[in-house]
Amino acid sequence: MLKEITEKEYEQYRGSSLVLADFFSSTCGPCKMLSYVLKDIEAQYGDSLIILKVDFDENKELVEEFQVTAYPTLILLKEGKEVERMQGLAAKPAIIKMIEKYKEEK
Amino acid sequence: MAGRISYSYQRSLIERQQESEDKMLKEFEAGNYTIDNPMVVVNPYLIVPLSAVVLFMTDTETAVTVTVRGKERYGDIRHTFPKAQKHILPVLGLYAGYENKVEIELYRGKKKTITIQTEELDKDVPVCISMKTSPGYLRDQMIFISPALNQLATAYDYRGDIRWHINVPTVFDIKRLRNGNLLMSTERLIEMPYYMSGLYEMSMTGKIYREYSLPGGTHHDDFEMPDGSLLVLTEDLRSDTVEDMCVLIDRESGEILKTWDFKDVLTPGEGRSGSATSKDWFHNNAVWYDEKTNSLTFSGRHVDAMINLDFDTGKLNWIIGDPTGWPEEKLPYFFKPVNEPFEWQYEQHACVVTPDGDVMCFDNGHYRSKIKEHYLKNKDNYSRGVRYHINTDEMTIEQVWQYGKERGADFFSQYISNVEYYGEGHYMVHSGGIQYYKGEAYEGFAANMQGDPDISTRSVTLEVLNDEVVLELVVEGNYYRGEKLSLYHDMCNLKTGPAKRLGHMGVTKEFDTIIEMDSCYQVLPDRYAASIKEEDDRFTFKATFEKGQLVMLTLEKGEEKHGYYISTSANQLTALCCGTFVSKDDRDVTLSVNKAGLRGLYAIKVIVDDEKYETGITVDCGRP
Repeated sequence: MLKEITEKEYEQYRGSSLVLADFFSSTCGPCKMLSYVLKDIEAQYGDSLIILKVDFDENKELVEEFQVTAYPTLILLKEGKEVERMQGLAAKPAIIKMIEKYKEEK
Repeated sequence: MAGRISYSYQRSLIERQQESEDKMLKEFEAGNYTIDNPMVVVNPYLIVPLSAVVLFMTDTETAVTVTVRGKERYGDIRHTFPKAQKHILPVLGLYAGYENKVEIELYRGKKKTITIQTEELDKDVPVCISMKTSPGYLRDQMIFISPALNQLATAYDYRGDIRWHINVPTVFDIKRLRNGNLLMSTERLIEMPYYMSGLYEMSMTGKIYREYSLPGGTHHDDFEMPDGSLLVLTEDLRSDTVEDMCVLIDRESGEILKTWDFKDVLTPGEGRSGSATSKDWFHNNAVWYDEKTNSLTFSGRHVDAMINLDFDTGKLNWIIGDPTGWPEEKLPYFFKPVNEPFEWQYEQHACVVTPDGDVMCFDNGHYRSKIKEHYLKNKDNYSRGVRYHINTDEMTIEQVWQYGKERGADFFSQYISNVEYYGEGHYMVHSGGIQYYKGEAYEGFAANMQGDPDISTRSVTLEVLNDEVVLELVVEGNYYRGEKLSLYHDMCNLKTGPAKRLGHMGVTKEFDTIIEMDSCYQVLPDRYAASIKEEDDRFTFKATFEKGQLVMLTLEKGEEKHGYYISTSANQLTALCCGTFVSKDDRDVTLSVNKAGLRGLYAIKVIVDDEKYETGITVDCGRP
């Protein structure tokens, strides 16, 4: 599942087993490219992975909560706790490698 | 759809040189040139405008002396060529924009003076501010400096007059090989900011004998081994890290014989210097082979250290650097300082191993600490040439010489620079990266601010003999390294004939995700100022995009697609040893795609945000 959310909407996903949060900006080229990568990842994982897109400029409380300083930033959350972080444009194999590491632990 | 973006096909420099040489030799063979009526061709190899070739026949085999008359007597440059009947003689050391008087003298025979008029050099030629030395000290040698910003490699005589200049951006060091030829990078950029396709072995006239291409390209440094093979600094451009590999290449075939990957001996992230990043974690800027210990020494700016590996096994022997912050398991490889004064080097360049095993480098001193809270500002800092004596049995280190600290921030280079060892007490110290912003040492990179009137740059190359400065060249600009070389040497100074292209280019890294989108069947709009330059082994796409645009270049052949992501983000580099290719407009992008790994005809298309545009150009990558 891939969805763009607001701060309010995030609450319903807090504590989910595995969430990949993408802090992006609509003014950033790498963020735009990453959105295509995440669509690819969604196609691979379907509903078994929750991918949340968080607009960096519109959701300052989440930005502050997760101490995001640059975009794009990917944060992998396992049961609400951050377990991995990637800053900058990441390619699909690197993201999958990160996800698989924590999916296996389930 | 009609039309296409700007397109050109660039023949290789080797092909263009061959055409020029063939034309020269054909004319020579057809004519009747004698010492009274010699044929003269200025810059026949197209890239060294202060060179010429004089051609004539003599009735019998005879040696010939060529003298380029200096602006004063000490400025004469003279060389005697071995006896021959057919004389094809390189003339080196001409002045720019000048009626040069050149004497040609047969051994115990006729003398003829000819005039060779040269053109003025480009306005970007490095401006010599001062040269202090004596003609007796420098004799027939020149001080060569190689580019770090937009100026090109140039050589100065004892007066500071330019006597050699290359008009293409061959960057990084200028090395003289044992056969007298020069080794420099090609002018072919394969990836920003400064990764080059390989190396040229060439004569001082610019005649290329061999072009070596490497899959990972080259950067920073190379070294000729005792058997003539070449150590070349490279990287795996398909990996996530850079500037952390070295290869040994066969001189005759260009094939890679051996590879050293520093990730095999160090863990990226350990021993970080102030400039380290996860991608450029080591920043290898020099290599040296020491025959006595059969070992390799590498300088890693981003670990504040010089590391030494066994040539055969690749195992780590020792590390010279401040051990603060390194993991416990690495500490046995570090030395313990003995005697005063002693200081570690930080973000150093250009390691040199002296004949007695001492290790020298240019200690840039950038940050001058491993602890962030103790970092020094550039304005409070200093750089120096330093020589350490190491005892590998007791793992002790002693500082036995330094020069530069006493000159403070005015000799400080946060990047580039080198030292050379000539003999005991006789060294070069080249501080090539001095940068000021509004008169104070600049904390950023001038390459990103070229054209800003508040930025000024300097390069100071000096030589020290028994603690006395015997030469000091000050040039406007920043220059990667300084070298002292004579223009002529005692072996073959010019050999005509075809050049060889050796080795091979790598397969350009593709982005794993291709954006699936239909073409809008329009040519990429003019506002992007896009162009494609094709060469026989690659093509280069250049354009200007706004920051934040999504750009991907695709190659399409039926269902087969290849995608290359182009970043339009501001690039925050912490190291920019060669800013020669950095555009003044930071919206400009460059992407080079090698034909290696591709077969057949591909349409080149460009995705910009939500549109996929045509370029109108098809690239031929060889037989399918």
